Amino acid sequence: MSRLLAAIGARALSASTELGGMVIMLLHIFRGIFTWQMDVMETWRNLYKVGVKSFPIVVVTALLVGAIMVIQTGALVAQYDAYGLLGWGAGFATLREVGPIMIGLMFSGRVGANNTAELGTMKVTEQVDALRALAIDPMTYLLVPRFVSIVLMMFLLTIVGDLTALLGGALTAQLLLGVEPLLFFWSIDEYLLTEDLFNGLYKAFTFGFAIAVVSCHFGITTSGGAVGVGRAVNASVVASAVSIFVLDYLLTYLLG
Amino acid sequence: MIEVRGVTKYYGRTAVLNNVSMVVHEGTQLGLIGPGGAGKTLLIKIMSGLVKPDAGKVFVDGEEVTALGPVALSKLRVKMGMLFQNYALFDFMTVEENIAFPLRQKNELPDAEIRERVAQILKAVDLPGIQRQFPNELSGGMKKRVTFARAVIHDPPILFYDDPTAGLDPVTSSKIFILLERRRNEKGTTSVVITHDILGVKDICDEFAMLDHGRLIFRGTREEIENTRLPRVRQFWEGKAEL
Repeated sequence: MSRLLAAIGARALSASTELGGMVIMLLHIFRGIFTWQMDVMETWRNLYKVGVKSFPIVVVTALLVGAIMVIQTGALVAQYDAYGLLGWGAGFATLREVGPIMIGLMFSGRVGANNTAELGTMKVTEQVDALRALAIDPMTYLLVPRFVSIVLMMFLLTIVGDLTALLGGALTAQLLLGVEPLLFFWSIDEYLLTEDLFNGLYKAFTFGFAIAVVSCHFGITTSGGAVGVGRAVNASVVASAVSIFVLDYLLTYLLG
Repeated sequence: MIEVRGVTKYYGRTAVLNNVSMVVHEGTQLGLIGPGGAGKTLLIKIMSGLVKPDAGKVFVDGEEVTALGPVALSKLRVKMGMLFQNYALFDFMTVEENIAFPLRQKNELPDAEIRERVAQILKAVDLPGIQRQFPNELSGGMKKRVTFARAVIHDPPILFYDDPTAGLDPVTSSKIFILLERRRNEKGTTSVVITHDILGVKDICDEFAMLDHGRLIFRGTREEIENTRLPRVRQFWEGKAEL
């Protein structure tokens, strides 16, 4: 019994340490942002790495998501001859739920894991110490640009992804069901509300925030050489994915 | 001047540094020797404020490093340079960007002058024309010299060298020691050199200190270390297998 309690206590302590570490790191990042202590070159480098390099995979993922939505609803639409609702059905699911979630998960795997691995490697190879030895605050120099880039690009790429998913849906609707793109987009325009789009974008912003915090935290606290980097990346990807689903549940409940 | 007073640091229950006290006077080059795991790297990280000790104090030019906040510590670190044992070069930057980094962060010099200074220092360390290469394209000896260049380009009056010749061939090691000696002679820097290369460091240091199992067991000049009766120090200095 005492062993069980000790194990629970150790887990609780470890979780509190991680959470406390994230909050302190976040405070440093906010201070860096609001006092404009951002290295411009490093921010550009990260915006490019996170945004431009993720663009192709986001477009491909989104095209397929849109297509899958249409395939899934296609049979029902054909059964009830409700072709005018196809755009709404695919768009509603994509904009509010599937788009942000899929792009979020892809982002956590590609950008979050890469971010943790890069920061972790810098930590274990003393590059972070080297920054401090050169009188540079690693929080400001390394974390602020990464945080800003991930949050901003997750948001912007979700907009790109949403549009691409609708395009993928329209193409698939025409190819598989013979639904004219005009009808597909009319259905979106007629039945979808602006809040459906914003609902998904709030989620995208929140998911980006979670991926940025988690990946930066696990990266900058890495220890234990190459094994430690592997462990940190693993923890970062798992924690990001769990955060995305938990936040999605909460936001769906709160936003309706 | 660097002063260390009763510094103790624990990792778990093990005292990695145990009540270490020493002074490195201005313009002195101190050779810090001792077996692996004795706490040498940790000691210079504590001296430079990268690690906080569990007990004791460190003063650099009269300022208590161990009591400074992050901003004040950053200002003090401008006076310091550090050569890391494992290079610690920023692998996403070119050689030029690495070396120019301290100057660009200060934002005091025009870019053309920074480039000129980088070219000059690369020539001084016998590596002209490698500005556009990345650290992963360099050999160990080249990386050490680039790290040296980055540590000294902003002319800090205090320098910490963590095993600058580890894993290098004798010729490259000699080149590094010549650079260290020239630096001391030309700029009068206060420096601490961690090394296992006793032969190489003998002639370039003014004083020597030896750490063993986290304790300072010797402190003195070259003459004093060569005539010491402390068996552990003699063994290490003479490189004998047996006491």
